[in-house]
Amino acid sequence: MQGTDVLVIGAGASGAAVAWRLATAGIEVVCLEQGDWVDARAYPHWRADWELHRHTDWSAEPNVRRLPQDYPVNDRGSVISPLMYNAVGGSTIHWSAHFPRFRPSDFRVRTLDGVADDWPIDYATLEPHFDLNDRMMGVAGIAGDPAYPPKSPRQTPPIPLDTLGVTIAGGFERLGWHWWPSDSAILTRDYDGRRACVNCGPCDLGCPIGAKASTDVTYWPKAIGAGARLITRARVREITLGADGLADGVVYYDGEGREQAQKARAVVLAANGIGTPRLLLNSRSPRFPDGLANRSGLVGRNLMFHPYAMARGVFDQPLGGHRGPIGCSIISQEFYETDPSRGFVRGYSFQVARGLSPIASANGGSVGDRVPWGREHRRAYDERFDRTITVAVIGEDLPEADNRVELDPELADSSGIPAPRVTYRLSENSRRLLDHGIARAREVLHAAGAREVTFNPLLRAGGWHLMGTARMGSDPATSVVDGAGRCHDVPNLYIVDGSVMVTCAGVNPTSTIQAIALYVADGMIGRRA
Amino acid sequence: MTRARLAAKRDLLAAVLDTLVPPSAGFPESGRLALEHVLAVADASVEAGDLLARAIEAIEAAGGRDARRFAELGADQREDLLRRVERSAPGSFDALVRHTYDGFYSHPATITRLGLEPGPVQPRGHRIESDALPDLGRVAASGPIFRRV
Repeated sequence: MQGTDVLVIGAGASGAAVAWRLATAGIEVVCLEQGDWVDARAYPHWRADWELHRHTDWSAEPNVRRLPQDYPVNDRGSVISPLMYNAVGGSTIHWSAHFPRFRPSDFRVRTLDGVADDWPIDYATLEPHFDLNDRMMGVAGIAGDPAYPPKSPRQTPPIPLDTLGVTIAGGFERLGWHWWPSDSAILTRDYDGRRACVNCGPCDLGCPIGAKASTDVTYWPKAIGAGARLITRARVREITLGADGLADGVVYYDGEGREQAQKARAVVLAANGIGTPRLLLNSRSPRFPDGLANRSGLVGRNLMFHPYAMARGVFDQPLGGHRGPIGCSIISQEFYETDPSRGFVRGYSFQVARGLSPIASANGGSVGDRVPWGREHRRAYDERFDRTITVAVIGEDLPEADNRVELDPELADSSGIPAPRVTYRLSENSRRLLDHGIARAREVLHAAGAREVTFNPLLRAGGWHLMGTARMGSDPATSVVDGAGRCHDVPNLYIVDGSVMVTCAGVNPTSTIQAIALYVADGMIGRRA
Repeated sequence: MTRARLAAKRDLLAAVLDTLVPPSAGFPESGRLALEHVLAVADASVEAGDLLARAIEAIEAAGGRDARRFAELGADQREDLLRRVERSAPGSFDALVRHTYDGFYSHPATITRLGLEPGPVQPRGHRIESDALPDLGRVAASGPIFRRV
């Protein structure tokens, strides 16, 4: 068995970034990924029945999809279902590529608002890594958003707003609220050898032309070109320790189910906010009887999702909502920072997505209000189809120790590896925050011309963002990794996925997760030099 | 097996689907467009097939003799019967409605009637006439809204 300098576990958003950065510095990298490459010809977009696949084999829920490379998640104790994808590219295969950064205040929550904890790193530290990551992924957008410090030029112009976006922008304008065309990791012009988006719509089912920045088409070709070795269909069972107490590799099952070992001088976990604690908890030893790197007892705790509430307005005119990237139109951060008069701390963003496709219009989409059947059906459907705008309220969750990932005592994946069990309840602060967001979303939809607004107070199938379960901090008693991404208990074991997030902000996290991965990689390179 | 249970009641199933999604002026397509999809779902998944078969069996049980001549009933009577089943067997009826909508609204004839082009969304994509942005001047001029730390 051949050892390597660095072993990366997981080939998704963060694993790809860290592998590329290390490989380009001349470091020998092996990455193990339990999924496989997604063949561009396999995407449902090439089929007439593409929309049917959203709730079957291309569902974002592993418990629905049940592909061989997936592991089950016991989420009966959670009001939000975790979503993920297991493949080269990880969940960037499925994401809508909405690409905001965390804001400077997001790293100083304790200092500013007296809740949760500050991060040991800050926005300024990550800024060059944000910029580098933007260049690697390719971001459509426009400079000048007053919700952020000045950013580097975006790689391509913003995603076109089209009729739907212009309509809701009018609502924000009438209320005098902040709005801005979303930063989106989707190309509107050819860039870096990749093609521009053709506005086909269902980015959540993947992008068969590579316009959307999944890391199988951004980082990985370059990482492999720089010498990184990617082994697919490799399911890691546990991280192993040497006699010195340092991580010395992993045991995994290959594509044929054979047990294999891979030795390494350092190990990087990039398996997402559920997969990473699962693997640590599965890596028990006499030295770490409660799970690897878990002397703090915090591995798996402080799970944060972004709780989503959805408000949907019905308009009188067609909006063309089937055209363009499904998740990307407009962001508003009018209610992002803490205002004590609102009755909650922290805040939220609005994300305005595209309209509903034909099946989603019938079954209610993210609001879940199915069109009635029977003689009322046609009128009700026709009033809705192509005449709706959905405003998502994406709230900042605060870390709570009881929201957690554990090992399920009975459930296991197809290799017999214990599966995760997720416990998550919505906090009172989050409930108030979402209620405030729903009321404001209703206002902006009416201001834009909606004649009717309905809402879903909490989107169950909304666990896109998995964070906080191996948090970063300076104190080994209250955190799992240090400010460099190293486990306090095992200093050659690094974590770079959403697990390390101390707080989760009120925006999608992938841009920040990848910036952290690049930052951690640069630290590893610097320590080697 | 479940497909066989459903297929044996194909005529009843088609009439039920037409009641769930009736034809109307300007939109003559009706729920039976979803028939093959519903049968395919029953074929592909034991769990889904069992739910669908139970829905049809519940309709039969609720309708008694009427179920055999369901298609001949008036629209009011057919809806009344299905409303009773919706209350008595909500889980299986919900599955029936969902799969009916899935099949109906993915059918090329329906897509065409909705004014869209049926078929794969790639490679054709969609044309967006203008990528012009509304004026961002007011927002940009409002100044920073992030907290400096």
